[in-house]
Amino acid sequence: MNWPDLSMGGYGFYVWGSYLFSLIAIVWEVVSLKQRKKALVKQQQSSKPVPTPVLRGSINETTS
Amino acid sequence: MLRWIVWRDLMLAWRRRADMLSTVFFFVIVVSLFPLGIGPETQLLRTIAPGVVWVAALLASMLSLGRLFANDYQDGTLEQLLLTPQPLFLVVLGKTFAHWVVAELPLVLIAPFVGVQFDLSRGTLWILFASLLVGTPVLSLIGSVGAALTLGLRGGGVLISLLVLPLYIPALIFGAGAVEASVMGTSPSSHLSLLGAFAIVALLFSPWATAAALRISLE
Amino acid sequence: MNIYKYASPASFYPLAGKLIPWFAIPAALLFATGLFVGFFIAPTDFQQGDAYRIIFIHVPAAWMGMFLYILMAFYAGIGWAFNARLSSMMASSLAITGAMFTAISLVTGALWGKPTWGTWWVWDARMTSTLILLFLYIGFISLQAAIDDPRRADRAGAILALVGVINVPIIYFSVQWWNTLHQGATIRILQKPTIRGSMLAALLIMLAACWLYSVAVVLIRLRCIILEREQNASRFAEVGV
Repeated sequence: MNWPDLSMGGYGFYVWGSYLFSLIAIVWEVVSLKQRKKALVKQQQSSKPVPTPVLRGSINETTS
Repeated sequence: MLRWIVWRDLMLAWRRRADMLSTVFFFVIVVSLFPLGIGPETQLLRTIAPGVVWVAALLASMLSLGRLFANDYQDGTLEQLLLTPQPLFLVVLGKTFAHWVVAELPLVLIAPFVGVQFDLSRGTLWILFASLLVGTPVLSLIGSVGAALTLGLRGGGVLISLLVLPLYIPALIFGAGAVEASVMGTSPSSHLSLLGAFAIVALLFSPWATAAALRISLE
Repeated sequence: MNIYKYASPASFYPLAGKLIPWFAIPAALLFATGLFVGFFIAPTDFQQGDAYRIIFIHVPAAWMGMFLYILMAFYAGIGWAFNARLSSMMASSLAITGAMFTAISLVTGALWGKPTWGTWWVWDARMTSTLILLFLYIGFISLQAAIDDPRRADRAGAILALVGVINVPIIYFSVQWWNTLHQGATIRILQKPTIRGSMLAALLIMLAACWLYSVAVVLIRLRCIILEREQNASRFAEVGV
């Protein structure tokens, strides 16, 4: 195992830039999905106080 | 049935001649813009001519796609056409052919004259004509799929462009490539034959896809 | 156990929820492992120096972009042919992740091209085809976004995806031809360095990581889509439409 040269032989901007961009893209995707999910769950819980047959077993329970 | 559809569409288009002319004018203007934007140096113009003329043809073709089904859709004729016992494939083929005659054929005919602006030789102008003659049916056929998918949607022309332009790229590459080969003095025959192959494949498959898309858009 | 009950969005929803951690956590672990091997174990390349290390994200992203498109077309086709809502929802879910990976592949490709070959963008066959693939994704996503009726959106998307997937080899072949014609000054660029043991290992680990990540993220999005659409369906069912 060898410690990598952090400047990547002078190419640091490109290498770290690539990984940074990829990381930002991945984080953005996950975060926006989490937000979308949260908004949906909140909307459903406010509009349907009684779980309907269709949604039963989806959000609140797990089926076996 | 096929003849009837073609005749009907041609008649209707003739009553709206202005639409047909506007497509041609758009093509001419766009092609003329490029030398104005780039400079009059003839060697450069000869190099960019194939790409410029072809891209202008693509754009003009796309602008006219909206008209392929929209009018019939709006007055309910399209639904009736779907209900006829005739295969929808034929209906689509007829309409696409009529569309090609009205929207693309004028471009093909006027392209050599427009190509003169780029100082192309006579032989090259013939190849330009030939490449567009073989290539524009591909544009109409593939475009008809996009037109059918986007029937009645907001976002209109831009949406069709997004869908259809990537699919146009092979035709563009070989069509412009044929003209470029001619400019450089090599033989354009391989480009033209590949373009012809695309045209045949498009002819066989896209009316079927368009028919399926029409059914989906209309139900 | 009847597996076909999971074809219903409502019953797939909890299953997906249970599956997600099984993909998300291994994905994170494999990302860490892959990067470790790629940066700490793989040696510096003779020709490209350390800049080549970009391939550990560039190549897996490019492959994911392509695989996910094919998968998307497959699910969309199944959803259309068998009238299976869940398949179509899966296709819609795959689209955004696929587009994202394609975009990552383009950006990292540009960042790789600049130090190794001097320009940000080179019209070589692979990069150009990847760009066109991104356009195809954008077309699919835009079409589905423009259609309000979910079933029409599903089916229209299926046709577009199937037409696209058939065209992809044609487009790739055309672009290759175009590229060889215009070779001129451009050399065969973005050549992968001769892959040695540890480099290959890192590449494959990162690819596996991307796969697992994709499954996890697509399942999460699928659950969101199920919530959005089945909610509407249940409302219609109550009214009796």
